[in-house]
Amino acid sequence: MRTPKKSNLVKETPFRDQLDAIKPRFFALMLDWMLWGYVAYAVMYFLQRYWWRYIDFYNKLTLPSWGWPLAVIGTLEMALLSHAFSHSPGIAAARLRLVDENLGSPRFSQRLKRFLAMNLALVAQPVVFALRNRKPSRLLHDSPSTGFMLPFAVIKDALPVKKPRPIYMTYRGIFMAFILVMTFWLGLHIAQIEFSVLAEGWDYTAKILGELLDVRLNHLFVDVNAKGLLFSIAYFMLETIFMALFATVMGVLVAFPLSFLAARNIMGFGTVGWGIYLVMRFLFNAIRSIESMLLAIVFAVWVGFGNPYAGSLALFIHTIAALGKLFSEQVEAVDPGPMEAMFATGARRWQVVLYGVVPQVMPSFLAFSLYRWDINIRMATVIAFVGGGGIGTLIRYFKGEVGRIPDAWGQVGGVILVIAIVIWLMDYISGRIRERIV
Amino acid sequence: MNNTMDFDRLAKARERQARRIAIRDFRREVFALFIDTLLIALLWMFTAYIVQTPARGVAPFLVLSWSVTLLICVVAAFLWQRATVTPGRRIAELYDKDVRNPWYRESWAIATILLVVLTFVVAVMFTRVDLVKLFTQTDNISAVMRQFFRPEWSIALLGGQRLIQTLFMALMATFFGIIIAVPLSFVAARNLTQGPVGRAVYTVVRGLLSFVRSIPAMVWAILFVVWVKSGNTAMGGVLALFVHSVADLTKLYAERLESIDPGPVEAIRATGGSRFQVIMYGIVPQIINPYLSFTIYRLDINVRMSTIIGLVGGGGIGGLLAQTMRVNQYEKSVVLMMMIMATVWGMDTLSARLRERIESGSSNPSLRGYALRLKAKIASRTTDGSAWW
Repeated sequence: MRTPKKSNLVKETPFRDQLDAIKPRFFALMLDWMLWGYVAYAVMYFLQRYWWRYIDFYNKLTLPSWGWPLAVIGTLEMALLSHAFSHSPGIAAARLRLVDENLGSPRFSQRLKRFLAMNLALVAQPVVFALRNRKPSRLLHDSPSTGFMLPFAVIKDALPVKKPRPIYMTYRGIFMAFILVMTFWLGLHIAQIEFSVLAEGWDYTAKILGELLDVRLNHLFVDVNAKGLLFSIAYFMLETIFMALFATVMGVLVAFPLSFLAARNIMGFGTVGWGIYLVMRFLFNAIRSIESMLLAIVFAVWVGFGNPYAGSLALFIHTIAALGKLFSEQVEAVDPGPMEAMFATGARRWQVVLYGVVPQVMPSFLAFSLYRWDINIRMATVIAFVGGGGIGTLIRYFKGEVGRIPDAWGQVGGVILVIAIVIWLMDYISGRIRERIV
Repeated sequence: MNNTMDFDRLAKARERQARRIAIRDFRREVFALFIDTLLIALLWMFTAYIVQTPARGVAPFLVLSWSVTLLICVVAAFLWQRATVTPGRRIAELYDKDVRNPWYRESWAIATILLVVLTFVVAVMFTRVDLVKLFTQTDNISAVMRQFFRPEWSIALLGGQRLIQTLFMALMATFFGIIIAVPLSFVAARNLTQGPVGRAVYTVVRGLLSFVRSIPAMVWAILFVVWVKSGNTAMGGVLALFVHSVADLTKLYAERLESIDPGPVEAIRATGGSRFQVIMYGIVPQIINPYLSFTIYRLDINVRMSTIIGLVGGGGIGGLLAQTMRVNQYEKSVVLMMMIMATVWGMDTLSARLRERIESGSSNPSLRGYALRLKAKIASRTTDGSAWW
C-alpha cells in the first residue's frame, strides 16, 4: 500500500484553490438553473398564449404573486435534481464528473443523499465556511456517502474504461434536444414567423419586385433636386465613401496612440499603468458595444437631420473603439524580444514603443484600418435611415415617394444596385491590398 | 544535324522567354501608367475642388472637357515616370531596387501622402464637418441630453419583452441560415466542384452570394418589411438577417472547405468509400469546429444587427426605440439604448469566450494548484476501497 505523497509541484494557495475548485461547480449549477429557468419561461409563455387564446378569453392568465418565488425555487430544485441524478448539461459544460469513492458512478442511494445534502448546503454552506471545520475546497454535499464532483481532466486517466452511452440515450442529450425543439417553437412564436403571411403577401410583393428589378439609373449623374439638398446617386455615393474615409482616418489617428495605453505588455508595469490599461480597455469595450446607428441618432439631433457630418461623427466614435481594441490586441501579440533588448539598454518607454513595437505592428495596423474603412462604407450606406447622411438618404426619399412617382421602386433598385457594386468593389480591392500587406 | 536542331530549339526558347518578359514588362508599364494617370487626375480634381468655393455636384470643378483632361493627365504621368520613381512604378515594381533613398525622400511617397492629405481635406469639406458647429449649435442636443439624464425606467419591462424578441429574431435567422448555408457551402467550394457542371454551379452560387452579401442587411430589411406588412414586422427582420446570414455563412464555410487537408479524403476514397462516407468521415471531422465557430460569430453579428434593424421597421427593440424617438420621449429611448448596449456587450463577450474555447480545441482546463495536487493524490490512491480524501 502506497502512502499518498505530497506534491511539491505547486505552492499551496488556499484562496486560489478554493476558487479553482468552486468556480466550475458554481458555473455548472448556474447553467443548469438557467436552462430550467428557460424551460419555465417557455411554459409560462405558452400557458399565457394558449390560455388567452383558447381557454379563458376574457380573464387573461397572470402569474400570481407567489408565482415568482415558486418559479425560482422550482427551477432551482429541478437543477439540483438533474445535478444529482445525471451528467447534466451544466456539469458537462464545466467539465466535471460525479464519482463515488472508487471513481465509479455513484449508487442511487448516494445520489439521493446528494440531492438532500445539496438542499441543506444551500442554507448551511455559508455557516460551515464560517466555522472553518472543513477543507476550503470541500463542500457540504461532497462526502463518501454522497459522491464527489471532480474535474474530468484530473480523474480522466484513473477512470475505469467503459463504453460511453450514445448521446441520444443520455439525459443530457434528450434534454438538450428538447431545449432545441422548444427554442425553435418559441422562436416561431416570438419572432412572429408565419409562413402563410409570405404566401398572402406574395401578389403585392411580386408587383413591387417587378418594379424594383426595373432598375432606373437616370439619376446616376443627374441631380434629383426635388426637395432641398437632393443630388445625384454618384454625389451621394461619393459622400458615403468620404464619410467612411473621414471616420477611418480620424479614428486611426485617435486609436493609434490610445491602443498603446490599452496594451498589457506596455502598461502593465506599475499600479498607475495597470489602472490606465483597465480604464482604456473598459472604455473601448463599452463604446464598441454602442452601435454606430444609435450614435448617429444622437448626432443627427445634434448637428441636423440628414447631415453627413452626423454620420461621420458616429462612425468616427465607433471606429476609435473598434480599432483601438484590434490595435491593442496586435500590440499585445508582438514579439517581446526587441522590447526587452531595448529596455536592457536603458531605453525609455516611449523609445521602446517607437522603435521596438511600432515597426512590428505597422502592417497589421494598416490592414485593420483598410478593413475598417470597408466596414465603415457598409455602415455609411445605411446610416441615413436614422438621419446620418450618405446614399441611404436617396433610398429614404424614393421610398417615401412610392405612389407619387411612378417609378419610385425602380429608383430604389438603382440606388441599391449602385450600393451593391461599390461595396463589392471596395471589398474586393481592400481584400487584395490586405493580402499584399500581411 | 542534331546539334543544329538543338541550337535552333534553344534559340527559339530563348526568344519566347524574351518575348514573355517583354510582354510582362509592357503590361507592367501600362499598369503603372494607369495608376499614375489616375493619381494625377485625382490630385487635379481634389485641388480644383478645394480651391474653388465648394460647388454642389460632382462635375462642375472640371473646367476642361473630359478628353483634354485625360490627355493632359496621361502626358503628365508619362513625363513624370521618365523623371523619377512614381507611385505607379513603385507598385508595378519597375524601379532600380539598388538605389534606395529614405522613403520620405522618394517622390512616390510624397505624392501618396499628398493624395491622402488632399483626400482627407476633400472628405472634410464634402461631409460638411464643422467642429465649431458641434459646440455652438447645442440647442437641440441640450434639450435631448436633459432627457437623457432623466431616464424613465418604466419602459424597461416592455423593452425587456422586445429584447427577448430581438434575441429570438437573431436566433431564428441564424438557425434558418445554417440550414441553407451548410449544404450550399459544399456547392460553393472550389475544390469540391470539379468538372464543367460543378464549376458552372460554383461560379453562379458564388457570384450570386457575393452580390447578396454586398447589400447591407438594413436594406434587405426595407424590402422584406414590405412583404410581411404590419402584423409580422419581426419576421421581416428575421428574413433580412436570414438572407444576409446565408450569404455570409456560405462564404465563410466554403472558404474553410477550400482549405481542408485532402489527405483523409483521398485515403477514404482509396479504400472504396462512397461519396457519403467521404463527406461524413473525411470532411466533416475537419470542418465541424470551424463551422461552429463561424456560426457563433454570425449569431453575434445577427444579435447586433437585430437590435437596430427595428429602426427601419424590422421589429424587435429597435422598433420600440424608433417609436419612442418619433414622439421625442428620449428619457425612454436612453433606457432602451442602454439595454441594447448591455445585450451587445454580453453577446460579444460570450461569443468571444465560446469561440476561444472551440478554437483552442482542448477539453481540459489548465491544471494548476488544486487540480494538480488532486491528480497526484488520485494517481497514488489506495485500492482497498476506503475513501482517501
